[in-house]
Amino acid sequence: MSGKDRIEIFPSRMAQTIMKARLKGAQTGRNLLKKKSDALTLRFRQILKKIIETKMLMGEVMREAAFSLAEAMFTAGDFSTTVIQNVNKAQVKIRAKKDNVAGVTLPVFEHYHEGTDSYELTGLARGGEQLAKLKRNYAKAVELLVELASLQTSFVTLDEAIKITNRRVNAIEHVIIPRIERTLAYIITELDEREREEFYRLKKIQEKKKILKEKSEKDLEQRRAAGEVLEPANLLAEEKDEDLLFE
Amino acid sequence: MLEGAELYFNVDHGYLEGLVRGCKASLLTQQDYINLVQCETLEDLKIHLQTTDYGNFLANHTNPLTVSKIDTEMRKRLCGEFEYFRNHSLEPLSTFLTYMTNEFPAQEVCTPCSQTLVTMFLRVQVNFHPVKRCSYMIDNVILLMNGALQKKSVKEILGKCHPLGRFTEMEAVNIAETPSDLFNAILIETPLAPFFQDCMSENALDELNIELLRNKLYKSYLEAFYKFCKNHGDVTAEVMCPILEFEADRRAFIITLNSFGTELSKEDRETLYPTFGKLYPEGLRLLAQAEDFDQMKNVADHYGVYKPLFEAVGGSGGKTLEDVFYEREVQMNVLAFNRQFHYGVFYAYVKLKEQEIRNIVWIAECISQRHRTKINSYIPIL
Repeated sequence: MSGKDRIEIFPSRMAQTIMKARLKGAQTGRNLLKKKSDALTLRFRQILKKIIETKMLMGEVMREAAFSLAEAMFTAGDFSTTVIQNVNKAQVKIRAKKDNVAGVTLPVFEHYHEGTDSYELTGLARGGEQLAKLKRNYAKAVELLVELASLQTSFVTLDEAIKITNRRVNAIEHVIIPRIERTLAYIITELDEREREEFYRLKKIQEKKKILKEKSEKDLEQRRAAGEVLEPANLLAEEKDEDLLFE
Repeated sequence: MLEGAELYFNVDHGYLEGLVRGCKASLLTQQDYINLVQCETLEDLKIHLQTTDYGNFLANHTNPLTVSKIDTEMRKRLCGEFEYFRNHSLEPLSTFLTYMTNEFPAQEVCTPCSQTLVTMFLRVQVNFHPVKRCSYMIDNVILLMNGALQKKSVKEILGKCHPLGRFTEMEAVNIAETPSDLFNAILIETPLAPFFQDCMSENALDELNIELLRNKLYKSYLEAFYKFCKNHGDVTAEVMCPILEFEADRRAFIITLNSFGTELSKEDRETLYPTFGKLYPEGLRLLAQAEDFDQMKNVADHYGVYKPLFEAVGGSGGKTLEDVFYEREVQMNVLAFNRQFHYGVFYAYVKLKEQEIRNIVWIAECISQRHRTKINSYIPIL
């Protein structure tokens, strides 16, 4: 970022007021953004903790589910093609909802069941009990997976949002505000200088005028002494007017 | 049928019986299982299996070794052995073996039945008379039907079919486009025809759930198999019939147990019970009325064989009913080898081998998932 520039503006009192207002605005903006960033970071850490917990749990549940698959296959034989071929509609579906954290919308997935279990009678002749257990285990695993998916998307979205917000905060703090401050300082110095110039000019003019006045006074004196100067008629002086007949 | 089977059996089937007994001798023993359970990784498991009769069956596989690879290889081996038996067999053993293949679970696929399925089913029937092969075929057929329903390619589905359930008309099954096509055209293709005739008509299949369909088919298959064994008479009947009766009763119990809390009505449930076995007919009627596990247990208490089984459930080690039934099945299969000159040895061998495959896959899964708490829940065989 360039360090020493300022906003090009004609230095005047109004410009100064405008700049002051802008500085105020920038500072308020920076504080608000900092608050937003803090809120997002807080939520981020919570989600991170939850993700770690859920992942550990997921490992356990998947292990359990895989083992119950082995058990079911031991008793019921290989039913995989039955299951694969029988698929038509999904039983567990996902709805996406939105959650709002400090202005950032996070997607949240929630699962719901639809339809009946089309595999109710599978393993009727053998292995039904193990199959039921297997179904339960994997249902649990799927629920956990959905939750984990929600958490991870929120994690990624939040991460983005936090980066952006922090970038903005830093930009304001280290670029915008210093620039405005520099502009303000420049305006103030310009204004001061102009004032000084004005002052100096005034003083000089006064001097010159004084000198001129003295000179013309002297001149007048001289001429009066020489008798060349006629006093103009003073309308305000009381005089007898010769032309008047009666008094 | 044959009096004095000892006199005539070896003429036709002696070689195969000797072979199957040799194979049975190579099943894993308790000691082998103990070694396997102590393995830390799948590589260890592979090394241990090399010392058994499996030899280097995993030798061609590169890393990483997965449980499904082990499973496929073992299954391939079993199929190879079975095919050998089948190809070298004569009647009536070959009929018997074909009955068995109906049993192998292919990767099953079922969709809600529809006209297409019905027709495919019916079409798929026929050909050979029911044989031991049928149960694998049942599953394959359902797979194909489903595929045709969803317009999948034939190759894709054929790949998923169980090898033992293959029959030559499988590709033809997929060609038909419309239900009536299927129904009319290929009605004569497979050996499963009689089973379909028993349980459904073309229209009825529309509403039927695929699982119900599968179970009904299985029921008629079991009944046909039982009749076949009984008609054959002699030692085979003496050995096979109890095993099949146990299978029927077991299915009745498990179907009842699994249908608690589902939308399967009592009448529907009753139609799925095979009509033979110890529970037929009074026990089945009682079972159809049962509404929870305790009522079922009461029914079982009437039968001396099943009372101790039910009491073992939930005891130490948290055994489920299925585990208990599996154990009993294994026991009966092992006992089949105590007699000679009958076809039951083949059935028993295949069942035991399957159980062994399941056990090894279970142990491998426990090892690979590092979940060793239940690693000893395999079913010990010998």
